[in-house]
Amino acid sequence: MISALVAKDVKLFFRNRFFATVTGLALVLYLAIYFLLPLQTENSVGVAIHLEDPAASPEFRQRLTEDEDFTLFPSKDEMLAALEDTDDYFVGMSVPAAAAQAVARGEATTLQAFYAPDVPAEAKQVFHELLVFIANMVNPDLMARLSPIEETEFVLGHDLLGQPLAVRDRFLPLLLLAMVMTEVLGLGTLIVREIETGTARALLTGPLRLPTFLVAKIVTGLVLAMSQVVIVVLVTGKIVVSPLLLLTTLFLGSLLIVGMAFFIAAISRNNTSVLAWGTLTLILFLIPALSIMLPGLASGWMELVPSHYLADALHRVLNFQAGWADVARDLFLLAAAGPAALVIGGAVLRRRL
Amino acid sequence: MASPAISVKDLSFSYGDNLAVDGISFDVAEGEVFGFLGPNGAGKSTTVRLLTGQLTPQAGTAELLGMDIVSERKKAQQEMGISYESTNLYEQLNAVENLNLFARLYKVADFDAMALLERVGLSGREKEHVANYSKGMKQRLMMARALVSRPRLLFLDEPTDGLDPVSTQTVHSLIETATREGAAVFLTTHDMVEADKLSDRVAFIHEGRIVALDTPAALKQRFGMRALKVEVGHANGQTELREVALDEAGTAQAVHDLFRDEHVLTVHSEEATLEDIFIDITGRGLQG
Repeated sequence: MISALVAKDVKLFFRNRFFATVTGLALVLYLAIYFLLPLQTENSVGVAIHLEDPAASPEFRQRLTEDEDFTLFPSKDEMLAALEDTDDYFVGMSVPAAAAQAVARGEATTLQAFYAPDVPAEAKQVFHELLVFIANMVNPDLMARLSPIEETEFVLGHDLLGQPLAVRDRFLPLLLLAMVMTEVLGLGTLIVREIETGTARALLTGPLRLPTFLVAKIVTGLVLAMSQVVIVVLVTGKIVVSPLLLLTTLFLGSLLIVGMAFFIAAISRNNTSVLAWGTLTLILFLIPALSIMLPGLASGWMELVPSHYLADALHRVLNFQAGWADVARDLFLLAAAGPAALVIGGAVLRRRL
Repeated sequence: MASPAISVKDLSFSYGDNLAVDGISFDVAEGEVFGFLGPNGAGKSTTVRLLTGQLTPQAGTAELLGMDIVSERKKAQQEMGISYESTNLYEQLNAVENLNLFARLYKVADFDAMALLERVGLSGREKEHVANYSKGMKQRLMMARALVSRPRLLFLDEPTDGLDPVSTQTVHSLIETATREGAAVFLTTHDMVEADKLSDRVAFIHEGRIVALDTPAALKQRFGMRALKVEVGHANGQTELREVALDEAGTAQAVHDLFRDEHVLTVHSEEATLEDIFIDITGRGLQG
């Protein structure tokens, strides 16, 4: 029975011109975007410097000239223009003429840092520390007087630091999540149409039992969601990265999304409301994956969004070769959230059937 | 009567304060067409929903082929074929796909969709999406779907509503074939001529209660009045229609007098329709 129902649902999905077109186009478009995004990792951090009095500290000037990450500008205006108009620099600093002498005398001095428009808050903090360090370099004697500090670092869990990512790799978890999430709309629409047109009634007034009907819809949702993301991980070659772990993560994530589709179908009167509720859910669920693309967006409340655990697990598995133990917490929470969403969604849906 | 295919006792159901079905009882035999007639809101559809297991009775019992519709719902539903009042087909599938799906659900061995489509007059259009079908074609496909499992019980809710005469005739012959093969047919319809023609017995339902139940002939005999419609001509060229009630004590004399005193142009006999009888019993028509 289930295979007959799933085959029917998949046929109906692809005979719906809107969903067939959107699915096909999305697959091509997402892959195109992925391959168009830069593969190279940006490792260098360009710093623009203007010294008001280059003669004040020749040693410092010499050091800056030797380091390719620093560029000296003859005027403050040129430095600011380079910072604002090019992507070569993230931060700039204009060192006043009296700064070196003030520091040498042990007096406080003010340094102004200028940031490029798209620098996230965390990066600003890092640059701030860097600038303080640079400022201190103006007086090497001062540095020498600082007590040496022995640092020992302990990294708990998988160390994500020091492994810079290409933009396309950051994009991949967002892409996969978006594709799985789109099926909320597809599956939700299929279910609502069955209720609206009375075909669900025709099925359930025969030998078919409601649990079988719901299981068939779960399988349909998983088939639709998984088939697309599997194509993507195959085409991008990412399938070779822990295939079993990757597929398990995608499976648990798809289960969560199918549960959401049930819930949305149950509270929607027609296709328009499926679209409205589905889009709202889509936006909310995509935010955690967006924060991987733009780390400045990351915030604690995102852990309340169940898709966070899917995005996080995908990010770790795809981009940092994380193992089962590294993403165990994510998988556990997904394994709990998915069936919970299905049970709640199924119970609400049951009332409409 | 043979052993009842449907046996209903004191069945009741209400939507909140609105009592839709009020303690109805009746039996339907195997091979019988049972016409269930009443205006909109009388309780017809609720009764069908109760008998097909879509609603649970609040009082009373309904047995289908000896199976209780509450405790053995799925077993009973396995034996049913249902044609709904509103079309509920998969419009983006073709006719064969629609029928094959239900054949798989009912686990019908060696199902031949094309033969069934031939019977309902849809062969040649079987590969088209149902969305392109006319209302009559969809209704015939609904009948075909109801017959997929060769059911012993057929529930037909307004199966010919809005159909052209050819489609109506096709549906009628399908019903006749099904009953010849032993199926019990529970037929709800507004069409009194159809009910009269097809039904072995009819029940009138009014405000949730069965107000009359018998064969159409017996109901006509009991409640209806036969009459002669006589057209008479006058010297000035005008005509007049007279009615003489039959089955009354003075009928013979009245007919005699009419033929003696008037210039009779035409004579027609007329008997009461089921609609006339329904109006007589309930004081209202069936269309309302």
